[in-house]
Amino acid sequence: MEFTLLGSAAVAIGSFWLIIRWEAKRGNAAGCAVDIWDAGLAAVIGGVLVGRLVSMISAGISPFSDPGQILLVRSGVSTVGATIGAIAVYVFVTRRDLASGLDAIAPAALAGLAGWHAGCLVTNSCLGAESTLPWAMTLDGSAVTRHPVELYAAILLAVAAVLIARWKERGRPPEFAPAATALLAAGGTRLVTEPMRISLSGGPVWFYGAGCVVGTAILMWSLRRSRN
Amino acid sequence: MRTTDSLRRSGATYLEQHHKRPTPSALVNLRRRAGATLLLIALAASACSPTFDGPLPDAPTPVSQTEFDGLVAAGAPAVVNVWASWCLPCRSEAPLIATGSLVHPNVEFIGLNVRDSDANARVFMAKYLSDADMVHLSDASGRIPIDLGGGSGVPMTFFYAADGTLAATHRGIIDEPTLARFLDEIDR
Repeated sequence: MEFTLLGSAAVAIGSFWLIIRWEAKRGNAAGCAVDIWDAGLAAVIGGVLVGRLVSMISAGISPFSDPGQILLVRSGVSTVGATIGAIAVYVFVTRRDLASGLDAIAPAALAGLAGWHAGCLVTNSCLGAESTLPWAMTLDGSAVTRHPVELYAAILLAVAAVLIARWKERGRPPEFAPAATALLAAGGTRLVTEPMRISLSGGPVWFYGAGCVVGTAILMWSLRRSRN
Repeated sequence: MRTTDSLRRSGATYLEQHHKRPTPSALVNLRRRAGATLLLIALAASACSPTFDGPLPDAPTPVSQTEFDGLVAAGAPAVVNVWASWCLPCRSEAPLIATGSLVHPNVEFIGLNVRDSDANARVFMAKYLSDADMVHLSDASGRIPIDLGGGSGVPMTFFYAADGTLAATHRGIIDEPTLARFLDEIDR
């Protein structure tokens, strides 16, 4: 059912909300967290809409001939389009203070992504390629055991979110470093889990690789700048 | 303590700063925006016309329950996608179904058109399923998916294993990971 996507989205927004609250209690000013929450929510909505538009256009469906389909996010959201759309909206909303804005939202964005992947438990879509590992799971009525690949991604992203939040709390990282680390973690998680997924056309591996490269480059630049 | 006059003055200043009347240029901008929005809606509405200029495929072949049962028990894995031209989500998932039919040539893809007119079904097939490697059947009453236990909703997708058993039923729009996973289950 397409409405089960709402369950997945609710898990994502809940995770996002929790980490924002947690950060607010542990260093970030509460007022700042409220602003970041607004900006993050706008970015999520903008990202999903842009991702849906890109998915429609790439599937050969014109948004002008079928405008109602923009709302049918269950039938496909382009990861590349959603990411670019979310970043564009976020930069537009917080352009007055980009570095602190991106760094503040970094762990929450990873938590939201983790929640989105964990939403597979609601949509019953956690499984990927065949596996014989002890924790492999099966579809109803099937004898084939499979990797719960979406849960792998959710766990990796949640761990990264907590580590970055703790780093911010204790280490006072330089500007852009938490955001760059989050980008590296998001791209790396998809790269690592991609071989365990099943798809018809293959995921945009180049995009996840580009995320890792850009994240690493910004992180190196940020750390080097803080030393000088 | 602030006097009543000073409070009034500060209140008036606040109102001046925050509750300005719209200037004529702001009204012109508002009209322009409203006009642009109406133009966009009109363009979208005109583009929603169901007509299609190119050549149309043959209409889906009418099928009875018995004939349908014989088709899916033929010895090859099969995917039956239930669609209708009036169903917006069907338009959205059609390209994915078409891709699946090309990526899994061992699986027989069957489109089951329900509660539809031949003319609209032909336009739908030309617009959204022209690339697909699949046969299209017609069930005007929509009884076949109901008798299979799927219900009356569209879209809906049934997955049959090679031995003819119904392996899975997916109600509603199907996404790529789900379609890929079910295809992997039956095409082995």
